[in-house]
Amino acid sequence: MKPVDLARKLRREAAFEPAALDRGKAVLMAAIRREVEPTRGPAIVPQIPYEDVRAALSFLERAFGFREIPTARLVTADGGIDHAMLAFGGSVIGIGPQGHHGTVSPKNGGIESQYISVYVDDVDAHYQRAVAAGARIANGLRDYAWGDRPYEAHRTYEALDLEGHRWRFHQLLREVPQSKRRSRPGED
Amino acid sequence: MNSRSDAEVIGRSLDQPEAFGLIYDRHAATVLRFLGRRAGAEVAEGLVGELFRIAFERRKTFDTSRASALPWLYGIGSNLLMKHRRGEARRLRASARMAAADEAVDRRASAGALDARLLFPRVADAIEALPDGEREALLLFAWEDLSYQSVAEALELPIGTVRSRLNRARAHLRELLEPGGESRVRSR
Repeated sequence: MKPVDLARKLRREAAFEPAALDRGKAVLMAAIRREVEPTRGPAIVPQIPYEDVRAALSFLERAFGFREIPTARLVTADGGIDHAMLAFGGSVIGIGPQGHHGTVSPKNGGIESQYISVYVDDVDAHYQRAVAAGARIANGLRDYAWGDRPYEAHRTYEALDLEGHRWRFHQLLREVPQSKRRSRPGED
Repeated sequence: MNSRSDAEVIGRSLDQPEAFGLIYDRHAATVLRFLGRRAGAEVAEGLVGELFRIAFERRKTFDTSRASALPWLYGIGSNLLMKHRRGEARRLRASARMAAADEAVDRRASAGALDARLLFPRVADAIEALPDGEREALLLFAWEDLSYQSVAEALELPIGTVRSRLNRARAHLRELLEPGGESRVRSR
């Protein structure tokens, strides 16, 4: 027998599971989807108004460790910042001049209509950095056995930025089993 | 339903990535069988999606002067199989045992059966002993029934190189299967 024919004698079919081709296609289609929707960012993006956007941008970077996404900056004709985006831990915020989209800075409005929770790896180090950069501390560091998210204990502080927006920084400490979860004092 | 060549489909998938799904629908079953013959069902099922994902991500490099994508897909598969050489060798030895047993049943007569029991394991050893490039060319040619041209496209070699590799593989096998050739297989 010829060598190639002998080699052919060792050719043997494998027996596949019926779903094998479907599973393979799912791998391909996932790769295709990743390319079609390349880098869709987070689903919710807080947009925060400032009287002095440039000063706010600098403060948010220095005090809180946010990083501007340079390609996202929009500039006005006179060189002012019309809109900027800052990234932190896989999330983003937008900042822009007050008055746009009906917004007003707490500096002029006199109220804080919301606060923003930010989850960090080391809240004590974050606190030191914010204080050093001139953040006003509204509530000092403290541990809680409940959280904005259920099951989690966390350590937090609250800071006000240059114009009075309130930021609450959290470090998750451990999971709290549902049975041990306490409600906030004054709540059931 | 769709008479476009693979080259046209891949060309279109540069702008419309979803179009690449059709390449899977056309060739995945063939490619899965190829991977299965070489490395067994389990490995093949794990690799087929990966193979097409890689193909999708490299589709810009596909030579659109080739009408069929199949040799290109075989080539990607051959590379993926390099990591599964041990499993391939095991499967080949098992195939040799099964081929020998089949032959014994077929012939019933004793003389031929004895030959087969000795011969097929030696064929497996001889295939294993081939240099990688020769083994790959031989198995694409003998097991997948690819033409020289298709083997050349799969391995990205000039057709003359494929021809000489296959001739060398044939000569090696013939030599290793000769009486006394066994010792040469073992000593490799």
